[in-house]
Amino acid sequence: MKFVSLIVPLLFLVVFAVALFRRVKLYDCFAEGAKEAAPLLLSVFPYLAAMLILSELFESSGLARMIADFLTPFYRLLGIPPEISSLVLIKPFSGSGSLALLSELFTAYGPDSYIARCAAVAYGSGETVFYISAIYFAGTKKKLLRPIAVSLLANFAGVVLGCLLVRIL
Amino acid sequence: MNAIFTAIFFAALLLFLFTDPDLFLASMLKGGQKAATLTLSLLSVYCVWLGFFKVMERSGAMRGVARITAPLARKLFRTRDEEAIALSAGNLSANLLGLPGAPTPLGIRATKRFLATGHDFAAEMLFVLNATSLQLLPTTVIALRLAMGSLSPADIFLPTLLTTAFTTLLGVFLLLMAQKCGRRRK
Repeated sequence: MKFVSLIVPLLFLVVFAVALFRRVKLYDCFAEGAKEAAPLLLSVFPYLAAMLILSELFESSGLARMIADFLTPFYRLLGIPPEISSLVLIKPFSGSGSLALLSELFTAYGPDSYIARCAAVAYGSGETVFYISAIYFAGTKKKLLRPIAVSLLANFAGVVLGCLLVRIL
Repeated sequence: MNAIFTAIFFAALLLFLFTDPDLFLASMLKGGQKAATLTLSLLSVYCVWLGFFKVMERSGAMRGVARITAPLARKLFRTRDEEAIALSAGNLSANLLGLPGAPTPLGIRATKRFLATGHDFAAEMLFVLNATSLQLLPTTVIALRLAMGSLSPADIFLPTLLTTAFTTLLGVFLLLMAQKCGRRRK
C-alpha cells in the first residue's frame, strides 16, 4: 500500500519538472486549466441532476426493491446470492447509493461472509453505467442504446463470474 | 435514454401515488440536492486535475503519452486524431491508477472531440471501456472492509481484478460484434 500512495506525488513531480524544464509558466498554466472546470461541470450539470433525481425515485419509491425481488429466482439460477440483487440493480445508476447498500450488506452479514465478498466483487468490478453516460454524452443527440446495452450486459456477466470466482478462489 | 427515463419515472410516480405521495417531491428534491453537492465537490476535484492536465499538455508529456499508445489506440478507436487519442490515453491511465475524479474530465473532453470529428465509434468505445471499469485496485471496497473489521480485506482483490478484466474484454468484444451486425444491416 505504501507504493500506491507514492503514485500521485511522483506523477506531479515528474510532469511539473518536465514542464519547468520546457519553460512552461506553471502558475499561469495551472490556472488556465482550472478555468475549464466550471464551464465543463455547468454543461454536465442538467443531465447529472436528471439522472440523480431519477435514481433517487427509483430507489425510494420501492420500484428497485420490487424489481430486485422479482428477479431473485433468476439470480439464484445464475449463482448470484439474492441478498445482493438490490446492489446489482442500483450500481448502474448511482455510486453513492450502491456504496450505501454495500456497507449495509457488510454490517448485516459481516465483511468476510460469502455474501459480503460477492457484493464487494460486484461493486468493484461494475461501473455506474447510466451515470457515466449522462455526463459523457451530456447534450448529444446520439443514440445511446448500443453502448449502454453492451456495458450493462458485460457488467452483469461480470457479476455472475465474480460470484463464481468468490466461491472457487 | 429518454425511454429509460420515462419508464422508470412513471413507474416510480405511480408507486408513490399508492404508497406515500408526500415522499415523491421529497425524493426528487433529495436527488437534486445530491446533484448540487456532487457538482460542488467535483468542481474542486476538476480544478486540480484540469490544472494538472494543462501543465502536462504544455510540457509535451501528453503528446508523449499519445505517441506511445498510438498503435493500440488507432486499432481500438479507429482514428488518427492526436488530441483525442492523448485525452483518451490520459483517461484510461487515470482509470487504471484509480485516481479519484481524474478520468472524468478527460473522458468528457475526449468524447466531445470524438463526436465533433464524427468518430462516433471511438466515443462509444471509450464509453464502454469506462463503463466496464478498469480500476486495478478496488481501494474503496478494501478500505470499507478494513473499517468494518475484516480479517483479510484484500482477499477480494484477485476475483475483482479477473472479473473487471473479463467485463472490459467482453464489453469491447460485444461492441465490435454489435458494430459489425449494424453495418451488415445497412
